[in-house]
Amino acid sequence: MTSIVDLDAEPPRLRGGTCRVCGLVFFPFQTYGCEQCGAYGDALQPSPLKGHGTVRATTVVHRHADPRRPAPFSVVQVDLDEGPMVRGVVAEGVELEVGASAQLVKVADAGDDELLAVRFTAPPKES
Amino acid sequence: MTKLLGDLEPVYVVGAGWHRYQRLSQVGYVDLGLTAVRGALDDAGLAWGDVDESFIGTGHLGMAVGRPMLKHLGALGKPLVHVENASASGSAAFRLGCVHVAAGISDVALVLGVDKPRSIYRAPTGTHGLADDAIVPFTHFSLLSGAYTAASGVTDEDLAQIAVKNHRNGSLNPNAHRQQERTLEEVLGGRRTAGSLTSLQCCPVGEGAAAVIVASAGAIARLGIDPAKAIRVASSATVTETTTSSDQEVTREVIARALHEAQTPPSEVDVFELHDAFTIEEAQYVEASGIAPPGKYVPMLKEGAFDIGGQCAVSTSGGLLAMGHPIGPTGVGQIGEIALQLRGSAGPRQHPGARVGLAHMVGLGAVGYAHVLRKD
Ligand SMILES: [Zn+2]
Repeated sequence: MTSIVDLDAEPPRLRGGTCRVCGLVFFPFQTYGCEQCGAYGDALQPSPLKGHGTVRATTVVHRHADPRRPAPFSVVQVDLDEGPMVRGVVAEGVELEVGASAQLVKVADAGDDELLAVRFTAPPKES
Repeated sequence: MTKLLGDLEPVYVVGAGWHRYQRLSQVGYVDLGLTAVRGALDDAGLAWGDVDESFIGTGHLGMAVGRPMLKHLGALGKPLVHVENASASGSAAFRLGCVHVAAGISDVALVLGVDKPRSIYRAPTGTHGLADDAIVPFTHFSLLSGAYTAASGVTDEDLAQIAVKNHRNGSLNPNAHRQQERTLEEVLGGRRTAGSLTSLQCCPVGEGAAAVIVASAGAIARLGIDPAKAIRVASSATVTETTTSSDQEVTREVIARALHEAQTPPSEVDVFELHDAFTIEEAQYVEASGIAPPGKYVPMLKEGAFDIGGQCAVSTSGGLLAMGHPIGPTGVGQIGEIALQLRGSAGPRQHPGARVGLAHMVGLGAVGYAHVLRKD
């Protein structure tokens, strides 16, 4: 699978894109075409996203068939600061309520599966 | 200038048949499908030779399953096509059948939904999200559920009442997958899947079949079909998701189009079959349809407004929650249920005085479908 997370950055960044024609910021990066205006190829440029945003919805998954994601775990829907909506898994022991800030972090070395390595958590308190 | 179904010749549902929706069994899909088709032909009083064309909605069965089934009715060399549109496969097949008859391409069309569950194959797009593997359908709808309850003050018990109502309706339907009444305690006490959703608030995906016959006014006269059985398809609408819309906006848009085309205000809808794969969906879609004002679904539910005999009977069949959701048959079975209701032939499930019905499905994508049926 194509890498969609830059795990070398701290905190990790999401590999998003920007449409040079209409300005839409999107995730994940692709050059198939812009969902908003249809521009494609070089009109779509890579644009790293900070992985920070606002929680719009959350739920606890009690049952899940895939043993790589043992239940229970929480998932959140996050509106990223740059615009795109993403859904991701919440770090163990963390509670993220609707309206709270969320930050994507690396929580584990999951070998070659970058998606198992990242979770959403509460950002460090601003001083 | 593009046209609506209502701009073409009138088209009618004249027959409906089912094979019961049920858990995966040893019964082959050929038996499932033939049972439903023969039921629909008998209901319409037609012979297989009267059917000009067939539309087969299926999500799970794979390539070209129609002819090896339909040939057992007589291999007469007539056209057939398979239609796949995820959960809305049957609704999509129904729309195509109606359009072909209304346009005069066929006089009589069979619309059949048939499926047996299996694991789903989707070719990779080459792009993926952060945690697609963690967001299965019940998790998706639980995320929506949490947002709805947070915004409206509705409780988990309120939403569980939807499952109680639909299981009560399903207990009256011999073709339903789940035919057992359930108490609120049973619904709430079931195994939790995601958030407050319990297993009885998630639809069963089993096997089954549903068929309807659609016909032109000319065919009804020529073939001597009982006019009392003919239910007019007043409108047909379909839309897909935009960059920013969700299942609820898709629903709002597609139902608004179907009601507008049928010149029917939401208040005139007597029976409403909708895509209640999860309890939360019924609350959201009844509000999206305009049948309940925003935030008023739950208070109206508690007053019995959506019961059989209430203001608008929602999911008299049992809905996806109790009737079941075998994928291909689901949207076709909704049309059959509404036809029975508008004829006054729904037996113990009959909603008194039903004259206008609305059918709605959402398929993965998301694609939305809505049809209005009317007893002339
Ligand atoms: Zn663009």
